[in-house]
Amino acid sequence: MIDKLKEISKDQLLAEVKKYADAKARFVTGSANDLGDKLEITYFFNASPGMDLSALRFSVGKDEEVPSMTGIYLTAVLIENEMKELFGLKVKDLAIDFGGHMMLAQDSPVLPMLKTEEQLAAGKKGGN
Amino acid sequence: MIMLPTVVRNLFGGPATRMYPVTTREPFARARGHVEFNEDLCNQCGTCARRCPAIAIDLDKDKKEWILHPDRCIICEVCAEVCPKDAITIAPQWRAPFYKREAIIYHSKAVKEKGEKTGE
Amino acid sequence: MAPRTITPFGPQHPVLPEPIQLKLELEDERVVGVVPAIGYGHRGIEKACELNEYPKNIYLCERICGICSAIHGMTYCDVVEKLWPLEIPPRASYLRTIWAEMARTHSHLLWLGLLADAFGFESMFMQYWRIREKVLDILEITTGHRVTQSVSIVGGVRRDIDDDQKKHCIEVLKDVRKEAEALNNVLVNDYTVKARTVGKGVLSYDQAIALGLCGPHLRASGVKEDCRTQGYWAYGDLSYEPIVATGGDSFSRAAVRVGELYQAIDLQLEAFGKLPEGELAAKPKGNPPANEAVSRVEQPRGEVFYYAKGNGTRNLERLRVRTPTYANIPSLLVMLPGCELADVPIIVLSIDPCISCTER
Ligand code: SF4
Ligand code: SF4
Repeated sequence: MIDKLKEISKDQLLAEVKKYADAKARFVTGSANDLGDKLEITYFFNASPGMDLSALRFSVGKDEEVPSMTGIYLTAVLIENEMKELFGLKVKDLAIDFGGHMMLAQDSPVLPMLKTEEQLAAGKKGGN
Repeated sequence: MIMLPTVVRNLFGGPATRMYPVTTREPFARARGHVEFNEDLCNQCGTCARRCPAIAIDLDKDKKEWILHPDRCIICEVCAEVCPKDAITIAPQWRAPFYKREAIIYHSKAVKEKGEKTGE
Repeated sequence: MAPRTITPFGPQHPVLPEPIQLKLELEDERVVGVVPAIGYGHRGIEKACELNEYPKNIYLCERICGICSAIHGMTYCDVVEKLWPLEIPPRASYLRTIWAEMARTHSHLLWLGLLADAFGFESMFMQYWRIREKVLDILEITTGHRVTQSVSIVGGVRRDIDDDQKKHCIEVLKDVRKEAEALNNVLVNDYTVKARTVGKGVLSYDQAIALGLCGPHLRASGVKEDCRTQGYWAYGDLSYEPIVATGGDSFSRAAVRVGELYQAIDLQLEAFGKLPEGELAAKPKGNPPANEAVSRVEQPRGEVFYYAKGNGTRNLERLRVRTPTYANIPSLLVMLPGCELADVPIIVLSIDPCISCTER
């Protein structure tokens, strides 16, 4: 369980992130997870100085566009590019767009981090 | 100039390196060097093959073969820890480099007793 | 206006042990823009961790990075333990702390050597690495391997440090400290070193936070933030206070690391003194339950962030690893523009980049 997890919708994202930026919080990282028909995105922030972690979470459909937070936190550029490449998250207005070649090369697997059929089947059986 | 004491000490000290591989250091007693297998103790239970993180152990149950792929082995010591018969040990000497991927085949000699648990 | 040229820096460059490419936009000798290109070392470890059984992932996570190998393994175990949650025995937490600090000692010695090498100060580089070898030797004596220590398991540790080894370690550490003091004295007082580092790659307090830096890089800008203050493992029992510098430049980063080197040795000596008796590992019950956990541990290069999600099977549903360099690379976008081409290697090195670990 993650303490201080806040569920939001993707339209609230930029406003919520702005709040963190105004409070001078440090962006830690993001994480994506494939839920089958949706992607679940979590962003983590740390209230600096100190060790106080909080998180924002939203889920989007696999073909929905998501606003980029690189305008507020430049440092999110790596993680957003990575999610775009490995999960197929559609991020709009990236500050630096690596064009799908940050981690992957021309003949790499496509969207390798999405769950395989077997994984999804096993997850339904064993989990939750 | 602040470096001077170090420089002087080096001038009169011996070299800090060894002429490997002509001179080698004695391995430390509990270092993880390579996998050793004792054919007489293994009863083909298969625990080691299931638990090896690098899939370096194969079993051929019909021929009673215990097959180690040393090129995959990461010398993590898991097999030696989980083997219920203590047939595997980790010896401290490092393996020499090799050029070909060759599996080492052993023949397990111990037999499973009736009703004995097979690993997990 | 002088014509602009684009010069690639890397992926193979003498100061970088690992592949990263920086596309530097130059106006004469001055850098005006930079685009980092990573991805030369992506191995898909996160995906492999989903497909592997959870106890096997320890050995995979240890191979994310060669230098912080032990800490990666421990953090992975830590995050999986938090899924239950599972308490580890006190002796195990002390041993983890000791090995983590040993890893920090040798990592900082490695970095100081590389820094000297980046100036072209070859003899100092070799001296640092000679001392580092002693630390690697005690690591090998206590854990069984000098690089991939593999000491941690879910629930505790696999090996014990007996009294003879303890005595030997304490002796070696005192010795290392004495020798490192002599060398660090050169590093922080030498005129050339200062000329090449003071005022280079400056980041202010606010910039450091806005860029989301971590580790010595963050603390060199005056932010007093260190994961060890959370008091995980034995850090809560030890007298520990983050080391902070205020310059925000390459020199401050070196100063923070020099301070942490001594501190790491002191922490080890203190932990050896307080090492409690007892069990080495607790046994986990069943598979990791469907739960989420986050673990943040201070590595030599900064904060490593593990996020794990279990689903009640032997496999994890998701494992996310964010290594310290991942957070520190974007700072290059701010630090490099405006500096001279000749300063680029030292500024890049001052974040202590560990690229393969960034890409996993
Ligand atoms: S030492 Fe580790 S990798 Fe090697 S065979 Fe044993 S379990 Fe497998
Ligand atoms: S007895 Fe030991 S070596 Fe033989 S198969 Fe079982 S675990 Fe492996």
